[in-house]
Amino acid sequence: MYEVTVEPTGDVVEVEEGQTILDAALRQGVWLPFACGHGTCATCKCQLVEGDVDLGNASPFALMDMERDEGKILACCATPESDLVIEADIDVDPDFLGYPIEDFRATVVAIDDLSPTIKGVRFELDHPIQFQAGQYINLQLPGVEGARAFSIANKPSNNTVLELHVRRVPEGAGTGYIHDTLQVGDTLDVSGPYGQFFTRKSAPEDLIFIAGGSGLSSPQSMVLELLEEGDSRNITLLQGARNLGELYNRELFEQLAAQHANFSYVPALDNPLPDDEWGGFTGYVHEAAIAHFDGKFNGHKAYLCGPPPMIDAAITALMQGRLFERDIYMERFLTAADGAEGAAKSGLFKKI
Amino acid sequence: MTARKLNLKDKYRLLTRDLEWEYSYRDYEEIFKQESFEGIKITDWSKWEDPFRLTMDAYWKYQAEKEKKLYAIFDAFAQNNGQQNVADARYVNAIKLFLTGVSPLEYQAYNGFAHVGRQFGGVGARVACQMQSLDELRHVQTQIHAMSHYNKHFDGFQDFSHMHDRVWYLSVPKSFFDDARSAGPFEFMVAIGFSFEYVLTNLLFVPFMSGAAYNGDMATVTFGFSAQSDEARHMTLGLEIIKFMLEQHEDNVPIVQRWINKWLWRGYRVLTLVAMMMDYMLPNKVMSWQESFEVYFEEAASALFKDLARYGIKMPDYAATAIAEKEHLSHQAWSIFYNYGHAAAFHTWLPTEEEMDWLSEKYPNTFDKYYRPRYEQWRRMEEAGERYYNPTLPMLCQTCQIPMGFTDMDDPTLVSYRQSEYDGDRYNFCSDGCKDIFDFEPEKYVQSWLPVHQIYQGHCGGAEMEDVLGGYYRINLGTDNLDYKGSPDEARWNDWHGLETAEEKLKKAS
Repeated sequence: MYEVTVEPTGDVVEVEEGQTILDAALRQGVWLPFACGHGTCATCKCQLVEGDVDLGNASPFALMDMERDEGKILACCATPESDLVIEADIDVDPDFLGYPIEDFRATVVAIDDLSPTIKGVRFELDHPIQFQAGQYINLQLPGVEGARAFSIANKPSNNTVLELHVRRVPEGAGTGYIHDTLQVGDTLDVSGPYGQFFTRKSAPEDLIFIAGGSGLSSPQSMVLELLEEGDSRNITLLQGARNLGELYNRELFEQLAAQHANFSYVPALDNPLPDDEWGGFTGYVHEAAIAHFDGKFNGHKAYLCGPPPMIDAAITALMQGRLFERDIYMERFLTAADGAEGAAKSGLFKKI
Repeated sequence: MTARKLNLKDKYRLLTRDLEWEYSYRDYEEIFKQESFEGIKITDWSKWEDPFRLTMDAYWKYQAEKEKKLYAIFDAFAQNNGQQNVADARYVNAIKLFLTGVSPLEYQAYNGFAHVGRQFGGVGARVACQMQSLDELRHVQTQIHAMSHYNKHFDGFQDFSHMHDRVWYLSVPKSFFDDARSAGPFEFMVAIGFSFEYVLTNLLFVPFMSGAAYNGDMATVTFGFSAQSDEARHMTLGLEIIKFMLEQHEDNVPIVQRWINKWLWRGYRVLTLVAMMMDYMLPNKVMSWQESFEVYFEEAASALFKDLARYGIKMPDYAATAIAEKEHLSHQAWSIFYNYGHAAAFHTWLPTEEEMDWLSEKYPNTFDKYYRPRYEQWRRMEEAGERYYNPTLPMLCQTCQIPMGFTDMDDPTLVSYRQSEYDGDRYNFCSDGCKDIFDFEPEKYVQSWLPVHQIYQGHCGGAEMEDVLGGYYRINLGTDNLDYKGSPDEARWNDWHGLETAEEKLKKAS
């Protein structure tokens, strides 16, 4: 396993032995330009800044000798032979602040049952963290191989704490540990911040947040920060859950909605129990968005956070309501079970 | 302090979009007359995302390097008498088909992109089209150069561009591009930029290039790789134009859907020539048409249309017909050419026993049931000295111009036949796809230059077969056409390799 850092965004991709950089990047949600996928078209040409690669079956016309001498590689054929730094023809968002990734010692100060399947874990950090609302950290858990990623739910101004929302993944080693074994007073290694999911503050458009399950974490941080800063744009948070028991932090957002005229909160339950006596929207959260905005989304920026099927349905709803890729940002909550899928990609979209 | 080095994005912007100026003394509509008549609504060209960022100075540098490499290989191929090392001289007929049928399309693409590149109000789109136009000109030139070596040693290459304009089966690819180029600029981009260069390009180029590789044709493999290295720009431009139109205005969605339906069907029909090339013309087979169709169309297109569904674009209905036809297409096409082997500018032949076994294996549902008996009957006729040549002229589909030899997929013994009436005349079609295309714009397709009609109307050199084939088409009768068996091509090949023809062996033995 090698680490490939993709500049200018600084995204880090983990590449297996023998895996191409492009394949690993796309599977881990890091977009690189590509077209043919087999070394003949040169769309995925990158500059190697540091490290060694095997160039693979790059066509001598797609990657000419003079380019090989300059350290150009084709991401679709190149396999790392060491950790790498590459520079790709991708844009850096002007709102990306690029806070450095640091290591922290984090001590558990509270564990709450947010819902029957989601725990809220609160850590105290050994030193302050700088992050953008929406970003995530990696957590090292004792006896669990590999780091686990969780979005930060607290606002950036609370920089000595970390609030994480952890849904139990069936058979999941990491989330299982947090639900069953983790105790107040335990100390864990944390690194961060990571990710390209953050608020585009320079964009003038009104904001829509669509959250599903424990995917409320990032939007919670983003909304809290915007309201704290006195942002005057219209902000709508749509939160999806199965039933009333799974709908957590509802009171927090209802209070905020009462205090801020520019903030609306729309909870949606897709499978409410009879005892819930649910009077709100019944259906999936993307359907709640269609109903709330009358199916028209143009002129907004949308932020999606949650499990892949929810993200997928929300993108379709937004695009049919004429909001497109450049105005949609997302964080997919993938679990080990999602990682195996490798459906062919068409190249039509960069991030979707 | 020295100025910061510009990144690629800024550099490209300064060298492209920054070349635009304000139109102060002429109206926009007057300058870009063709931008609106198709009904496509563009509200903001600044939303165009450059599909690639290659500046002109870098373009010349890269392309010059590619040419150097390519021509070094052409030279080596010629000096080593590469023509003698292909699998078998029958193979050369595949590249005769390529030179007469496909290379002139590269020239049409060069013209087409140069034209539409002038018509778009957005400077980003204009520059992208200009660069593709130059690529296409390079492709036609390198292809002609690659083939010119074969022209010294085999028949049928000498008049490729004249033939492209006149010969009956070459009107299929020619009319496809004529149709695209006589459409508006946005339709051209969906036709060529998207449908052909993005969706169908792998189905055209991969079979020809891997066919060349499997059959020892280094010259063709190399121009293929050289051309493919330009395709990145073409594919990303094709995708960007589709996204751009769909995002600019919701009224564009049904127009784009109709164009996608039309042009994927039109393009697929042209690829009939590729299907028969793969299954019948390559002595060393790569994969069957069905297999390549499944990989390069069914799998790739399902991923694409899953993404396009977000815009409300659906997979064309005709895709189901194309999928059903994959087990039949190549056999029906080769049968047509075997029938008209006297009227083709390349040689035809019956598949050998070994080749028929390969076809049975690749097409277990159809080959033995429908097509093997036909070839066996023709073989018996050949052996009896009655090689079957069809003496009449076929009815052509008014839209795709292919002889009406395709069958109904529900009953492969029945010819698929559709009909429309327009202005008192009847028009014939091979499929629902072709009929729908006609019905939407009959004024355009009633003007089609149909080779068979033209012959009957006396516009093709005369009333006799020789007048048309020899005089008007410039096919050298008895050398360019008829069976491979007994052709001068075969005689030369045997001479190079010290082989004897079957007839000679027989004569010696007796």
